[in-house]
Amino acid sequence: MRDILELVVVLGIICVVAAFSLAKVYDITKDPIARQERLARLQTVNAVLPPHDNEPDRNTVQIPLDTANDTKGKDADAKADTKAGKKTVLVYKALQGGQVTGVAFEMSATGYGGDIGVMMGLAPDGTVKGIEITSMSETPGLGAKVTTPSFKQQFQGKSLQNTRFNVKKDGGDFDQISGATISPRAVVKAVREGLEFYQKHKEAIIQ
Amino acid sequence: MNTLIRDLVNGIWKENPIFRIVLGMCSTLAITTEAKNAIGMGTAVTFVLVCSNILISALRKVIPDKVRLACYIVIVATFVTIVDLVMAGFFFQLHKAMGIFIPLIVVNCIILGRAEAFANKNPVLNSMMDGIGMGIGYTLALLTVGSIRELLGNGSLFGLPLLGSRYIPFLLAILPPGAFIVLGLLLGLMNKVNQRLA
Amino acid sequence: MQKILLMIISTVLVNNFVVAKFLGICPFLGVSRKTETAVGMGLSVIFVVTLSTVLTWLVQVLILDRFNIQYMQTIVFILVIAGLVQFVEMVLQKTSPGLHQALGIYLPLITTNCVVLGVAVLAVQNGYSFMEALIYSLGASAGFALALVLFAGIRERLALAEIPKSLEGTAIALVTTGLLALAFMGFTGLVK
Repeated sequence: MRDILELVVVLGIICVVAAFSLAKVYDITKDPIARQERLARLQTVNAVLPPHDNEPDRNTVQIPLDTANDTKGKDADAKADTKAGKKTVLVYKALQGGQVTGVAFEMSATGYGGDIGVMMGLAPDGTVKGIEITSMSETPGLGAKVTTPSFKQQFQGKSLQNTRFNVKKDGGDFDQISGATISPRAVVKAVREGLEFYQKHKEAIIQ
Repeated sequence: MNTLIRDLVNGIWKENPIFRIVLGMCSTLAITTEAKNAIGMGTAVTFVLVCSNILISALRKVIPDKVRLACYIVIVATFVTIVDLVMAGFFFQLHKAMGIFIPLIVVNCIILGRAEAFANKNPVLNSMMDGIGMGIGYTLALLTVGSIRELLGNGSLFGLPLLGSRYIPFLLAILPPGAFIVLGLLLGLMNKVNQRLA
Repeated sequence: MQKILLMIISTVLVNNFVVAKFLGICPFLGVSRKTETAVGMGLSVIFVVTLSTVLTWLVQVLILDRFNIQYMQTIVFILVIAGLVQFVEMVLQKTSPGLHQALGIYLPLITTNCVVLGVAVLAVQNGYSFMEALIYSLGASAGFALALVLFAGIRERLALAEIPKSLEGTAIALVTTGLLALAFMGFTGLVK
């Protein structure tokens, strides 16, 4: 009996001390962590937006992703069902002197090794300002080349009106990567769907 | 003093956790796509190892035998969480690079292994030295594997392009199969060296 | 239905937890010398991983998230796993001594198997629902078991081959695993 008591007491004390010290460390690191995460997020967003004088994550709007109409096919489910059923897109707005100079949001499409997340920045008229790859598990040296500046720069200045949004192999205007077509195809698709999404919800976003 | 030095050096070569005792494989293979990650992971593991060795050694007469594994786990897990939080707050990129392998430090056989095999039975100062030594041995091993893989697979070392632009990277080195093969061959090499020295 | 199938193929073949995600290497190398022991270990792992993921998922949702103490995840998860393994061992001993004999030695080892904690943490990190977490853990552990049994078969053959002295043991095992990993890489792109 005494042994069991000893076991419980020692283990109990250790657990309590552990929980207490962790709570303390958590308190200290809570703000730095939040700051770091915000910085990382802002970095991606700022990279694709034109010059602005606001902090884009303070001017956002949530637009519901209408899976039936906005995007077709399996990818709609993939994006819409991520993170336990969130079906909205968070749009960041860049402002200069109170006027919207650009918007940014994240789209995704299925690549070779999984979903590829694309953060895209648009000018108010629907022209692409830039893209950044936010997440991907493509093959290093092949599909992963979608993260190279030369690939990403292709998208600058393109819009649904002036470009055919497919890789050259599929009759479009975008270079694929030799030896890896699926990854660029996915990125192009994500951007195209993003542009279509923007076109559809333009008023709601800019207002 | 002599025993302290001995305990320190032990973990670096004679009982190098990766190359000799062969523990902690998971992180070795996963992290070592770049040399820089090796330093980050090595430091994190060394910190947890030293802290838990010290604490467990200090408490070795107090912890009842029956619950010792559970107590070790709580202690190690606490230090791992501290490392996790501190890295997320101040070394964000490194934290992202190591991902799930930070919480997995808890089940890194090296730490629990040393707790059971050494800290449990030795005084605090010796346990601290053992922790430092094992940590250094671990970090060096990681650095070796990481450098080879980064050099072969990316032509660079710590991000600095060393092999020039004409070098066609041997992609396999930074992919999973390459990790296994590089480590396996390194182990073979170490065995050969040890045979010669013996 | 399609989603379930996709997830299973993905976790067992495409993103195999041993040869692609580097989890569970220590037991993988340690228990794969004979096919029978590999099968035993594989089954134990499937059982423990699935059960513990279910439990830890519940703990995360009902306790950690509810009280906003997510930073306690590592400690709580590993304690749940350790406790579960102890419990399973005790139950097995009482109810099925035969099974306990067969699987018993591996059970304590499973506590420190990265796969268990890894799958538990990943299931929560990926934001899976309860059903998704269940399928995920089944697939992940089945993938581990598959790789383990395959590897044991190879190692049995390897034991009869002539290997340079310095490569004997873990060294050649690792190189062989690398080749196995290479084979599994062929599955990438299977899930489109």
